[in-house]
Amino acid sequence: MMEGPRIRSREEMSTFLTENEGVDVTRLVPLPFPYEDWHDEPVPPLTQSQLERIETGPDGVAAAQIPVAESDEERERMVASFLDGLRKMLTKENNWTFLQPLMLSLDNCVKCQTCADACPIYTGSGEMEVYRPTFRAETLRKIVDRYLKPGGSIFPKLRGNDIELDWDIVVRLAELSYRCTLCRRCAQTCPIGVDNALITREIRKLMSQQLGLAMPELHEKGSVKQLTVGSSTGLNPAGLADIMEFAEEDIQEKAGLDIPIPMDLEGADYLIMHNAGEFLSWPENLQAFAIILEAAGLTWTLSSELLGYDSVNYGLFYDDVQYSRVALKHYEVAKNLGVKKMLVGECGHAHKALMPIADRLIPEELRVRTESCLVVLEDLVVNEKLLLDPSRNDFPVTLHDPCNISRSMGINQPQRNILKKIAPRFREMEPHGVNNYCCGGGSGFAICSSLNFSEWRTRVAGRLKFRQILEAFGDEIGPGTKKYLCAPCSNCKGQMRDLINYYEAWDRCGILYGGLVELIVNAMVDVREGFIEWEMH
Amino acid sequence: MIENLLAVWVWLCLLVFTGGCLVRAFKYATAPVHLRWDLYPVAHEPGRDHGGSYLEEKEWWTKKREKDHLAEILAMAAEILLLKGVWENNRRLWWASFPFHWGLYILVGTTVGLTAVMVGLEDSFVTTVLAAGGVIGGALTSLGALALLVMRSIDPKLRPYTTPLDRANLLVLVLFGALTVVVAAGIPGMAGVPAGLLSMLSFGEVTVPVVWALQIAVGALFLFYLPLTRMVHFFAKYFTYHQVRWDDQPIEENPKMASRVQAALGFGVDWSADHIGAGKTWGEVATTIPGSEEGEK
Repeated sequence: MMEGPRIRSREEMSTFLTENEGVDVTRLVPLPFPYEDWHDEPVPPLTQSQLERIETGPDGVAAAQIPVAESDEERERMVASFLDGLRKMLTKENNWTFLQPLMLSLDNCVKCQTCADACPIYTGSGEMEVYRPTFRAETLRKIVDRYLKPGGSIFPKLRGNDIELDWDIVVRLAELSYRCTLCRRCAQTCPIGVDNALITREIRKLMSQQLGLAMPELHEKGSVKQLTVGSSTGLNPAGLADIMEFAEEDIQEKAGLDIPIPMDLEGADYLIMHNAGEFLSWPENLQAFAIILEAAGLTWTLSSELLGYDSVNYGLFYDDVQYSRVALKHYEVAKNLGVKKMLVGECGHAHKALMPIADRLIPEELRVRTESCLVVLEDLVVNEKLLLDPSRNDFPVTLHDPCNISRSMGINQPQRNILKKIAPRFREMEPHGVNNYCCGGGSGFAICSSLNFSEWRTRVAGRLKFRQILEAFGDEIGPGTKKYLCAPCSNCKGQMRDLINYYEAWDRCGILYGGLVELIVNAMVDVREGFIEWEMH
Repeated sequence: MIENLLAVWVWLCLLVFTGGCLVRAFKYATAPVHLRWDLYPVAHEPGRDHGGSYLEEKEWWTKKREKDHLAEILAMAAEILLLKGVWENNRRLWWASFPFHWGLYILVGTTVGLTAVMVGLEDSFVTTVLAAGGVIGGALTSLGALALLVMRSIDPKLRPYTTPLDRANLLVLVLFGALTVVVAAGIPGMAGVPAGLLSMLSFGEVTVPVVWALQIAVGALFLFYLPLTRMVHFFAKYFTYHQVRWDDQPIEENPKMASRVQAALGFGVDWSADHIGAGKTWGEVATTIPGSEEGEK
């Protein structure tokens, strides 16, 4: 008989871990040829010393890295603070930013479970109950109904509010809020319009804004570092200058072009906003942008101001205050530089953070027009403002749609129009576009590899995406045919890299990943042939 | 005496139903402006069946933005009348949910028709249609609710999330639908029903048959608790779609919204985490970076 929607107790947790009831990798969605014989390594449990320091979720995985409370008093204080935060979350003063959508989603879910089959993590895991979109949302609803609403403790079993809140439940709920990539596929299928992904985000927010607990890669190493150093990568303006100098040399060497990368050019048409992760992990991406913008004759610039050279805004995933601080700084930099427009590079969450979400937050005096790179690139490619030879891209190409660009912003067609022009062997994944599956690295997951999280991310969160990729290339899956997985988003690329490495997809299938601009430059007649280097990195 | 008590119960339930729904709707309608949280496809985007938005246009701000209101209405109609989302994403549930919802729609229509007859519309054809509506609507409601009850009791995906009160609610609807069938089928042409109802509701001299009284009492009970449940999605859906999912309006098109945001930035913040720096307004908190040398900006 199936268990009800409850979170396991601390006592059960130890049994849960020792009996390997955590992530059962034998239940993961099976993969097609050539992976019928693929055996997944288990998600390793935390070591005893780690367990003594860090709390885990009900699956034995740790993302938020919540310290183990030292005393009962501390645990009680934290529970009281959690409830206090929950109250604040339902006030307009503290949560005007999302109060209406939150109330609607808390109040109106009829638990029809339509959303469950839409969730790539729930289905990819083999339907592990704790990953069901309604599981964590219903847990929060129970807490709200039981502890915040008048008469909440009357007949709790009858009403389904039979939850006795303690620190263990708070911890597990917080951890589970980091088992959802906020891709909002669940919300898309909800007939009522309830958004259980939003509830997940609000749980993260409550933990961060009230208790100061968040995934370290998002907070201390993310938005806090970005606001103080200038970039979550730790890159400072001096380091940026070095990277750009290297990029200019690299462009000369690889493409045979002399392209100076403009820095702090006042009044330029475009301030290009890259995810600084590109500079360190995929410099060919920024180089490709430079080549394209230069060839198109546009005036553009990078900024060396703090935050001006890193478009990431991890607050989007967990904290409205941190989000607002970073977004305001981004617009301030653009305004001070006097550029006509901001151009958002290949980063999904930066698109969403700088465009629709910022729309209602940025004061009029700071507003700068902001545009997606996909739209500008479509204009250049489709209207033949670049000299292109599509035969240079004569290899199978498929497209991954970053959720923040496709589902949350409705930008779906420009990237397809580009690929139809430059990639003769382009084929879609199924489903695609607005109905895509998340890569499994969304909402900051791609940058988190601590403890056993990266193992969980590659085996569970990215499972359906990897299956989709294999299916898209199914007709030419052998390693003899080199294939290009186009992912126009930094975080998605990070996840693709980890998926390809874990599943050995470069060796087994010849699948390489990269951005869209690299593919465009690879087809540019004025560029030396072979811009895409067929090496897994 | 019983009839008078029944009338009191019905009026009380109607009052609670109306008041409760208004309170819930008022809560949603008066919530502060929120940051955009649109989700695609957005029905009113013209010519973008692939789930696109105006952000797909180069320099979108220079283009005249058009909204296809008819497409919006059609999308909502497909959701409400056909339960399109359930059909596409949860087919098994649809077979129970669709008749259940249509049963309720027919019963609501029948009640509206009965009210029209009570206040003066005299037509035997109308009352015959209403009688048929009672039988068909009652049967669909009862059978649909029964099917939902069975599914929620045995389906391993639904059962763990179904509370005793959820089951009780479905039982009430099974009973109400069945009683409605009995009442509507048992009174040929609804003879005397409108007049009897009017008399009962105005505390007049009338004798209400037991089955009929029971049907009215159970129906009123449903209305009584409905605003306290998640079934208010029948109007909450307006907000979830129009004010969240499909709310893609840029702020520059709506000066009133800009002033509402301005007001929100003046709200006091008292989140407790250190990095928030509580005790200030939203606007101040967002422009302050705790620990930075400058303190401000």
